[in-house]
Amino acid sequence: MKFFFSAGRYFALLARVFSRPERSRIYLQKLFLEIESLGINSVGIVAVISTFMGGIITLQVAYNMTNPFLPTYLIGLGNRDSLILEFSSTVMALIMAGKIGSNITSEIGSMRVTEQIDSLEIMGVNSASYLILPKIAAVVLMFPFLYILSVFFGLIGGLIVGPSLGAVSATDYINGIQYAFTPYYVTFSLIKSLFFGFLVASVPAYFGYFVEGGALEVGTASTRAVVNTNILILVFDLILTQLLF
Amino acid sequence: MIRIENLNKSFEGNTVLNNITTEFQKGKTNLIIGRSGSGKTVLLKSIVGLHEIDNGSIYYDDRNFTTMKPSVRKKLRQEMGMVFQGGALFDSLTVAENVRFPLDMFTEQTPAEKARRVEFCLDRVNISREAHRLSPSEISGGMKKRVAIARAISLNPKYLFCDEPNSGLDPETSLLIDDLIHEITVEFNITTIINTHDMNSVMEIGEKILFISEGEMCWEGTKTEILYAENKKLQEFVFANPQYKQIRDLRREADTD
Repeated sequence: MKFFFSAGRYFALLARVFSRPERSRIYLQKLFLEIESLGINSVGIVAVISTFMGGIITLQVAYNMTNPFLPTYLIGLGNRDSLILEFSSTVMALIMAGKIGSNITSEIGSMRVTEQIDSLEIMGVNSASYLILPKIAAVVLMFPFLYILSVFFGLIGGLIVGPSLGAVSATDYINGIQYAFTPYYVTFSLIKSLFFGFLVASVPAYFGYFVEGGALEVGTASTRAVVNTNILILVFDLILTQLLF
Repeated sequence: MIRIENLNKSFEGNTVLNNITTEFQKGKTNLIIGRSGSGKTVLLKSIVGLHEIDNGSIYYDDRNFTTMKPSVRKKLRQEMGMVFQGGALFDSLTVAENVRFPLDMFTEQTPAEKARRVEFCLDRVNISREAHRLSPSEISGGMKKRVAIARAISLNPKYLFCDEPNSGLDPETSLLIDDLIHEITVEFNITTIINTHDMNSVMEIGEKILFISEGEMCWEGTKTEILYAENKKLQEFVFANPQYKQIRDLRREADTD
């Protein structure tokens, strides 16, 4: 019963979020600020995590390829497809749900408990749209960019770690990452990243917008937002993989 | 003028406001008083539409707020200003940007006109020019309240609502805030409703006072009448501070002499 109540309230909130903005110019300014705060500021963590993960995947593939008849360029291929299909879209979305999601819930939740949202409503501003729409737009716009960046750094990570630890030669690794490339895998993951971006912004915004109480409840709402976003990302990953393959 | 008729509000079956009927006059500081938890804030938030009421009617100068279409209600909200308990200034904006925010959202003024209006409003509440660039976290509680008042009057509202404007302030600053709200009310001829449990405010600026206890309207009158009211709950509330009993007795003595 609680699930249906929450789902109904979530979609009602989305209807308010996507209603006509009062001042497009102000929303546009906020969009650029959110792109910087939620997107550009995430480039560092995406680069670091992806570089390490690319290196680790490369090592794992190399250490598990015990058959001497398998060509070593498959190590590069394994890393590339792991990054393109799942790591850079799904795993990165899970990590971003922690970073961006908790940020969104705590920001909007703090505004709720300090009556800043009531203040917007009193002025006649559609608070849901004003606060949430620029965040959703910024995250949805930035997620495909972060996905491509993650794939790039993951491949670089494999190139650094694989040859330097003797797991694969640089030539074989580079051959591997170019071998049997299927462009549709990238299209598929870009579509997924758009969905995940929407979830990572809208679900935490929902939890923040309806928080009741004080600082403690904002913290609890942040945790619940991240957990629920992660579950939804995995559910949608399953559904989209079934639908798009 | 704001008129309330038979207003009822409950939360999950618990009645918080029961059959409130009253009127708040234009150009006067109207006070809603009562103990903590008596329903003052719920009443104020119901009047401004932050809480949907169960039944009853609220009229803003004969415009029925309860039956208004959302678009008309939104328009009417631009005639309201509200000062929240904690100020509710936007953390991400500076003091000046907070005051400019309603102008950016709802007016077609040029940047120069907006800047002049922001300066006027902040000057009116005695905020120095140096503080314009500060963020809300860098200013004191009293300044936050004054900036909140400046923001509330930036669009020339017809109605001003203040939820416990003195909470957390020292007596001297409280007095300044009270006087400021009263001056603004008279100067701009607006209908002001203030929620408070501070008897100093009541005696300072209470031109019309509404006393609420356990969600029921128990008494209404003026600051001169309040000390002589016969209502037992009101007497308990007013004379919780013995200073007011002394004031009443002294006045009675003066009257008999």
